[in-house]
Amino acid sequence: MLLEASGIVKAFGSFRAVDGADLALAENELLGLIGPNGAGKSTFFNCLAGEARPTRGTIRFRGEDVTMLSSAAHARLGLARTFQVPVVFAGMSVRENVMVGAFLRHPARHRAAEKADEVLEFTGLAAQAETPASALGTAGRKRLGIARALATEPLLLLLDEALAGLTSAEVEGAIELVSRIHARGITLVVVEHIMEVIHRLTQRVLVFNQGRVIAEGTPAEVTADAAVIEAYLGRRARRLAR
Amino acid sequence: MRVSLRAALVLAAILLAIAPVLSGNAFYQRIAALVVLAAISASAWNVIGGYGGQVSFGHSVYFGIGGYAALLSFTKLGLPPIAGAPLGMLASLLLSAIVGLPSFRLRGHYFSMATIAIAALAELLVTNWGWAGGAIGLMGPATPRSPADLLFRSALPYYAIFLVVLAVLLALTWWMQRSRMGFYLRAISSGERAAESLGVPIRRTKLYALFLSGAFTALAGSLYAVMIGFIDPDSGFGILVSVNMVVMAALGGAGTLFGPLAGAIILVPLEETTNAVLGGGGSGAAYVAYGIIIMLLARFSPGGLAQWVPRPSAEKRVRRAA
Repeated sequence: MLLEASGIVKAFGSFRAVDGADLALAENELLGLIGPNGAGKSTFFNCLAGEARPTRGTIRFRGEDVTMLSSAAHARLGLARTFQVPVVFAGMSVRENVMVGAFLRHPARHRAAEKADEVLEFTGLAAQAETPASALGTAGRKRLGIARALATEPLLLLLDEALAGLTSAEVEGAIELVSRIHARGITLVVVEHIMEVIHRLTQRVLVFNQGRVIAEGTPAEVTADAAVIEAYLGRRARRLAR
Repeated sequence: MRVSLRAALVLAAILLAIAPVLSGNAFYQRIAALVVLAAISASAWNVIGGYGGQVSFGHSVYFGIGGYAALLSFTKLGLPPIAGAPLGMLASLLLSAIVGLPSFRLRGHYFSMATIAIAALAELLVTNWGWAGGAIGLMGPATPRSPADLLFRSALPYYAIFLVVLAVLLALTWWMQRSRMGFYLRAISSGERAAESLGVPIRRTKLYALFLSGAFTALAGSLYAVMIGFIDPDSGFGILVSVNMVVMAALGGAGTLFGPLAGAIILVPLEETTNAVLGGGGSGAAYVAYGIIIMLLARFSPGGLAQWVPRPSAEKRVRRAA
């Protein structure tokens, strides 16, 4: 197993945002993580990325206990992430933004620049390499976030709603990019709201609700699951019917 | 076209640099030396405050340590004041490690407030420390005992020494700006969370920047004490010493190589002239001007004057890189 999280609890005071969640991720898998708003996906995600320390439970990455390590240490081990609301490094060009990630494995400036150019080419941002990063729109910023994370040469990439807020044309482009990242042999976990995207991208999905994994299986299986329909799809269907 | 513009700028800089030498006017020469001295401390502040976005209002601590190290070396050990400079720099490194690490846990305004508190505390301690001159302060040598006392009637030798130090600091900053360290600092400045997720060692990067920044601010303090021959708690550790650095860097452009120098070139003559024209009673006038400048900057040009300098277009930069 590449990543194994067991019995993860994250409590804020008496509220348990994550309440005993497990996850086992095989190498080169593309796992989907879905669930209604407030289900604890993001908190769980932050625990996996080293940004939040779980109250209880252990996380192992390639057999090593990383539960209490910082997010910088996670990046060094090969576990990268993107953010739901992408932060660009203002005052820097798109290429310079990606170089920040590339410096992790390539301390020399010219090597970092080469790595950045390679990633920009791969992510389709090469034409905007010299653009100030703050001039990018939502889709560009999300793409830049992915490019920066890829520049750290991760084994595992955690994508936090990389497709939310994009137009349908942009969604197509992003799906294509995620597939190519996967084809490169990088393991992926994608948190997503759009069911169609999950269907097209992933072979296995975990469904979160109230801090727990309530269902697991192929996208087709989970959408047929009664608990999932009630927790997630059912509520939306009811809202639509109104 | 661009080459000729750049050549003109370099030429203008050289002319500006040698103008005080040619002028022969002692008042201008003194101002020139003070401009470069202010540029050293503002540029040193700029490393952590500008590039790193950690807005310190307590850098007077380092300045004061440098100034006191110089004059304590003279009064207590009988050494030339400049011999205290390395001691001051060493003490600044120590202080950076002790004070910097815990205060870096704070972000944004909270960090700034902590630095103000530390500087105020340092001023209070020194004021009540009789051994170090207390509220009265310390004097340098009245007459030169040897050339090493660096006691000159003319301001020109100071001007030359300060220029060399500024050149070294700007060269170090330029090198840092292009290296991994500079990228990491700028990344931290706009988003710590995102930077850390890319493996940026946040606290170590900030600490190294503070080492460089604090050491050169201490050196500026020593040079100030050597030239002026006097330091007291207010001129060493006073809040206005810190505010000077921040305003100069912000006016010229924080986080740019030459911004703090540009700020010093504008503000120091302004301060010195108002002092000379209005006399002792008007010494606060410059700070009224500072207040107005801060408000205008915040409202119209948060990037400082550097914001108005045209940057080479993307195409040209690509062409030059190729």
